[in-house]
Amino acid sequence: MDRRTFIGTVGAGTVTGVAGCLTRDGGGNGDGDDGTLRIATYDSMVNTENSAGPWLKEAFEAEHDAEIEWTVPDQGLTQYVRSARENADIDADAYVGVNVDDLVRIDDELGDGELLQELEVDRLDNADRIRDELEMGDPHGRVLPYDTGYICLVYDETLVDEPETLADLTEPAYEDALLAQNAQNSDPGRAFLLWTIDAHGEDGYLDYWGDLEDNGVRVLDGWTESYSGAYMEGERAMVVSYSTDQVYANEYDYEMSRHQVAFPNGQGYANPEGMGILEGATDVDVAYDFFDFVLSSEPQAEIAQRNVQFPAVADDHVDLDSTFDEYAHEPSETVAFDYDALRGSLGGWVDDWAREFVGQ
Amino acid sequence: MPASDRRGLRNAVVTLRSRLERHALSLAALATAAVLAIMLYLPVGVVFVEAVLEAGRPTLAHFRSVLTDPFYVGALADVFAEPLAVGSHLEGVAGWLGAVSVSATVVRPIPGLELPVPWLALETPGVRLGLFGFTAYQAALSTLASVALGLPAAYVLATYEFRGRRTIRSLTILPFVLPGIMVAVGFYAMFGRGGTLNGLLGLVGLGPYPFIEGNPLAIVIVAHAFYNAPLVARVTVAAWESVDRRAVETARSLGASPRRAFRDVVVPQLFPAVLTGALLTFIFTFMTFPIVLALGGLQLATVEVWIYDRVRQLAYGEAATLAVLETLLSLGLTYAYLRYESAQSGLARSAGTPARRPLVPDLRTALSPRRLAIVAYGLVVLVVFVGPMASLIVGSVTDGSGLTLRHYAFLLERQLEGASYQTLPWIAIRNSLLFGVATLAVAVPMGVVISVVTARAGRAGAIVDALAMLPLAVSGVVFGIGLLRGLVFGIPLPGGWRFQVTGAVAIVAAHAVAAYPFVTRNVSPLLANLDPAMVESARALGASRYRALRDVELPLVASGIVAGAAFAFAISIGEFSSTVILAGGGDTYTMPVAVERYLGRRSGPAIAMGTVLLFVTAASFVVVDRVGGRFER
Repeated sequence: MDRRTFIGTVGAGTVTGVAGCLTRDGGGNGDGDDGTLRIATYDSMVNTENSAGPWLKEAFEAEHDAEIEWTVPDQGLTQYVRSARENADIDADAYVGVNVDDLVRIDDELGDGELLQELEVDRLDNADRIRDELEMGDPHGRVLPYDTGYICLVYDETLVDEPETLADLTEPAYEDALLAQNAQNSDPGRAFLLWTIDAHGEDGYLDYWGDLEDNGVRVLDGWTESYSGAYMEGERAMVVSYSTDQVYANEYDYEMSRHQVAFPNGQGYANPEGMGILEGATDVDVAYDFFDFVLSSEPQAEIAQRNVQFPAVADDHVDLDSTFDEYAHEPSETVAFDYDALRGSLGGWVDDWAREFVGQ
Repeated sequence: MPASDRRGLRNAVVTLRSRLERHALSLAALATAAVLAIMLYLPVGVVFVEAVLEAGRPTLAHFRSVLTDPFYVGALADVFAEPLAVGSHLEGVAGWLGAVSVSATVVRPIPGLELPVPWLALETPGVRLGLFGFTAYQAALSTLASVALGLPAAYVLATYEFRGRRTIRSLTILPFVLPGIMVAVGFYAMFGRGGTLNGLLGLVGLGPYPFIEGNPLAIVIVAHAFYNAPLVARVTVAAWESVDRRAVETARSLGASPRRAFRDVVVPQLFPAVLTGALLTFIFTFMTFPIVLALGGLQLATVEVWIYDRVRQLAYGEAATLAVLETLLSLGLTYAYLRYESAQSGLARSAGTPARRPLVPDLRTALSPRRLAIVAYGLVVLVVFVGPMASLIVGSVTDGSGLTLRHYAFLLERQLEGASYQTLPWIAIRNSLLFGVATLAVAVPMGVVISVVTARAGRAGAIVDALAMLPLAVSGVVFGIGLLRGLVFGIPLPGGWRFQVTGAVAIVAAHAVAAYPFVTRNVSPLLANLDPAMVESARALGASRYRALRDVELPLVASGIVAGAAFAFAISIGEFSSTVILAGGGDTYTMPVAVERYLGRRSGPAIAMGTVLLFVTAASFVVVDRVGGRFER
């Protein structure tokens, strides 16, 4: 065997090996209309302690002649935005965990009203139970909220007093006290930034952040670093976090004095999470059944308690545990930017903020 | 079967074998090239090409906008904007020099402690470093710190004998495999205001000190050293153990003092290894991502942080441009180093058994200044390396009420009762180990082949060798997105076909691609130092190139191969970003992926999984090194 034959053989081998990697473009999503609904979601819906996902699957399957398959795309909805942009297959029928930023990003990237179908709300008996304040304002009606969180401040009452207003945070009493998150990557970080934009306006928020920076605010990457890392090890007296903080503190026996919840300006920033049906879904009917089920009373209570978020439906339609009621706090007034306010502005706001902050 | 046929068959087998043997090297080189083409050049190319495209047309606009933006390149922006205005740039430099002043002053280097140290303050008017400048600055400091912390470890491990030396040598790799988020949590648990260190200092009435907040840049640098000092130590120990004892003895018998023999014989042989460690550290910390923002905050953002943000916003043009610039910088540095390395080829070395002195022969020696310095260094190691990991382990068995096993109970329950769509601990452990071994098996031949091909090829070899470092020099974020777009989504082909690569094989290949540069960098310097006459004599005596490699060269560089193999295993165990992308929804996730997935609003389960990762890795490294040790002798 001379070199040429040899290389030829190896080449042929390589080609055969590579051929195993060829696939044919399929038609729709998932495995077709077989009664199995593939729902994509984020990790904590299925993988963390006491997640809501497995409960929902079991309870829904007991009531309906259908099956649910959870799937967790590792980059969340962004992964499907990328798939759609590259015309690659999307392996799910529905997505649970869409927030209004996601809708804005989808439309910026793919064009108006893409990726998710417009929902026929009439098909859902329970849709009118949803609280009005959670309306995301999507002109294409693609998602319905199923729960919401409120961003607030968690503080240590032995170290600082409750901050009454956002302006207080720039006072000497709160020097080197606040931990926040990078609005580029983190949901609570972005929510807090938007809250300051709501309070100080597009033209004033950077000045406010300048004052915060002078007062020693620390912006870490994500919620885990700032909360599980820095705050829990006593680095600082205050952290941007969720208003359900005490539910965990109670469950894990942490000192309540370090888990006080503050709503400066009497507000909290609302972060409703929504569910929608992906374009090209094959089991649309099952998806509607599932969404209606999610909005019914028992699942609403289970989702709220397991995800440690607030229900999306009005109080009359849900019965929460008394411990949950006691430790999960709701602000008297909520702040939230809707779709129209964010569209065309969000990217620029975050970018200007981040560039201002990186002070080399 | 008639005897003649059997003989014919045997002849055929023998001929085939000799042919295979003759071509073994080209075969391996070809396979290596194929793996690299699919798992590296294709995905990276898919993204890099965006740097020079705007709406499908070639353009340099992205480069122009990045290079003339002071936010990215600081004071150099003017130079890039008007490269020909040399006069005004020189004036700018002269003006800056004129404003520099030096004055004597007193500083307090330890936060919270009144310890005045006289210092020469250098007053310079601020130069805007820009994102690239700052990134390079922190990488340079991190490299210094890693070398400073890694070399003493190499010295102790290579020259002293003590109980547990081999185990400690195996465990040096541990920090290297920890997911970034675990390191961050571990550092807060160790150095935070309420952390272990302040707890210990509190016992003797000191503190609490704001170790992290006092100087965030310093803690980021220490965290980088946590990752990379072990790397420096391992690379150096491998070289130290292959120092030719006879050369040292010859020097001594010719009247050189031990110090002189060390300086003139040992140091020159170690220097390339130390520089290799430093180079790898610089490249790694230049592309650092999770650690800076987790410990230092957004003020200390690096280029990679911005690449991540651009990729998230699907602004591939700008992301790719930043990544290309990052890669060019790293590769340029690698090339400069390799030119230096190739100028260093020296005498043949043999892997004799290194002579080690006992660390604590008797009490008097134990109190000698050198032994006391080693004890002091041991304390530093306890604080910087053992501390964060031990604090993590403690974190995995505590909650608000004290000791608890609930986090491990979660892992056990998930394993026993978890559904198939959930992440199960045992599958993660099994996959990590399988992928680790497979990566080792693929990356070692790849790395050795590249070393052999480039070892004596002069300038061209240095270029190929520098390019072979590409996996380390490419932004992890960009590589990940390239894998997603190039291999997971697939490349559309005519006729409705798509070329897609995912699953276990793809993960192993991606790990091998990330790991082989470590094999190459460990093997190449040793290979280049071998006396070419040895291979030539073997060839003259009729050995094929492969035989000469297998029977003559490889045994002489075994310590480098084993060190490289250990790194390959470690890279595979610790790899996160491409694994998670290639694993998709299937059951090919690994331990670091499981850690990330268990991370919710309660960090306990994730920390417990991180602890499992630590113990499994520790055990496997003891095994890898024991098995590897047999080949070294």
